[in-house]
Amino acid sequence: MNVDLPAGTRNYSYAQDMAVFRTRTHWALLAALLVALLAAPLYSSNYWLGVANLIGITIIAATGLNILTGYCGQLSIGHAGFIAVGAYTSAVLTNRLGVPFLAALVLAGVAAGLIGMVFGIPSLRVKGFYLAISTIAAQFIIVWVINHWTAVTGGFNGMSVPPASVGGLALVSQGRQFYLIMVTTAVAVLVAKNLARTRVGRAFVAIRDNDLAAEVMGINLFHYKLVAFFAGCFLAGIAGSLFAHWTGFVNAENFTFMDSILYVGMIIIGGLGTAVGPIFGVVFIRLLQQGITFVSPVLESAFALPAGFTTGIGPMVFGLVIILFLILEPRGLAHRWALFKASYRLWPFSY
Amino acid sequence: MAELLQFVITGTTVGMVYALIALGFVLVWKSTGVANLALGQLVLISSWFTFGMLVQAGLPFWLGFPLVVLFALALGWGIERLVLRPLIGQPILSLITVTLGVAYFLQGAVGFIWPKSVAALPSLFSQEPIHIGPAVVSQEYLWSALISLSLFGLLSLYFKYHKMGVVMRATADDQLAVQACGVPVTKIFSRSWMLACTLAAVGGILISSIGGITFGLCETGLKAFSVVILGGLDSFLGAIVAGPIIGLAENLGGGYLTPLTWPGVKEVIPFVIIIIVMFVKPYGLFGEVRVERI
Repeated sequence: MNVDLPAGTRNYSYAQDMAVFRTRTHWALLAALLVALLAAPLYSSNYWLGVANLIGITIIAATGLNILTGYCGQLSIGHAGFIAVGAYTSAVLTNRLGVPFLAALVLAGVAAGLIGMVFGIPSLRVKGFYLAISTIAAQFIIVWVINHWTAVTGGFNGMSVPPASVGGLALVSQGRQFYLIMVTTAVAVLVAKNLARTRVGRAFVAIRDNDLAAEVMGINLFHYKLVAFFAGCFLAGIAGSLFAHWTGFVNAENFTFMDSILYVGMIIIGGLGTAVGPIFGVVFIRLLQQGITFVSPVLESAFALPAGFTTGIGPMVFGLVIILFLILEPRGLAHRWALFKASYRLWPFSY
Repeated sequence: MAELLQFVITGTTVGMVYALIALGFVLVWKSTGVANLALGQLVLISSWFTFGMLVQAGLPFWLGFPLVVLFALALGWGIERLVLRPLIGQPILSLITVTLGVAYFLQGAVGFIWPKSVAALPSLFSQEPIHIGPAVVSQEYLWSALISLSLFGLLSLYFKYHKMGVVMRATADDQLAVQACGVPVTKIFSRSWMLACTLAAVGGILISSIGGITFGLCETGLKAFSVVILGGLDSFLGAIVAGPIIGLAENLGGGYLTPLTWPGVKEVIPFVIIIIVMFVKPYGLFGEVRVERI
């Protein structure tokens, strides 16, 4: 029985079958979500708007990684490096060359995409672990270049970035940036969702499931793998640019190898190869991070724990969460959500 | 000339330690098919544990080192039993990413237990430098090379003559056939991980006795990846040959390229080598080229 759709919903045309939002409930929920998001700056504190902004930026980056790893099956452990490329491209363009923000945003994506393609070239001949290592190398080479090309990037000292401005309006407050970031995130998620349903996306999935078989069926591996690298890293670049303008300062410290691992962790926790997976994963990890930030100093003072507790507990919990998800629920939160929806629709006869 | 000799000696000797760490990777890859990306963190945590035993607990060397080896064995057993065993038969993507989770966990554990960023091990070897021709080399390098070489020797004897070693090679060759012969394959997996962790621990002690304990040790572990990539993932010989090559490239490049590029070029050379090998000869010098069928 098809439980992807609520009871009584029938498809009478192809357009209906392809629609993302089908029922009145869908539309009502969407409208409610939009209202809640648009009004967020009215009822949230600056702190939580900041958290929401970070979540939005991370969702864009994770969506990019999901295209590359989740749909196309090319594991990348250098995503933070590609985000750094975007962040620095945008920073250099706006700070040193005075390029307007929106142009810099797109160019940051393109730059990160092109760099990603270069490091993706080995993917034609190697896969799995080899590709993972090549992206790790990319991560370290990118960060090294950023740290040492002082004339352009400011080296270890980092560089300051002017706030984003759209149409002459400088987005200086968290609230204004919130709108920019939420709109970009929504566009990115929608584009990714639709990319996955096109010819390109289906080619990605075929490559992920069996690249030899895909090639035999006439899918040009080199072309599609590079497209996947470009698309994934393009979104990374967009996220990097937004991050740079959001914090107002870039430093290679923000784009470490451990961050790259965390991005992989996020899409695994959320659910590889699903449109909602990155959203679930990012929200889960970022809220967990918030929780740890609140709880760990309290615990430390309450139980007289050693001084390293606050710094060490975060990575330990993240590592544990990644391991546990891989062992217990490798299909991630998105799968749980699908199960929940199915059981809700079949109620009272859910199984 | 003295400079060149100096770079060559330090390069080869450090490279041998890389090879030692890489050997642990190759071992696990061959016998269990798991790509262990937590190598750097294994090196890091065992170095810190050595620090804990020798400096914080003040144990003498003869007691401290066996404890470190025991710790490494326990760590390897634990990782295999608790993390990898439930994932047997899962796709390679899960097997790679789960070791990333392990890496994250270990890094957090290090931050938790040893919240400082740098420390020095007590000097294990005499500090008196040795003059080889015109070059001056500190003894630590030579001892490291000597220890690595003797471990290579011991390991090759183990794989050639010891029953367990032979079974491990057989498992690497064909898991199904070995299982059919009545060998508990999971036990072999566990042994491989224990051995790999021990090699990482020894490599960590040697490296940190030279350069101190820093977070840079993670990168040392990652440099071992350039060794396995250059040598070929599934080749013990490859690891032993490629180790000194990487060490040499790193030290010679660091010595002669720095004026031409930026300072610190030494750190990035192993990663550039990875990319070059990927483009030119992706399966490495001695790696087996995989022929796939649908």
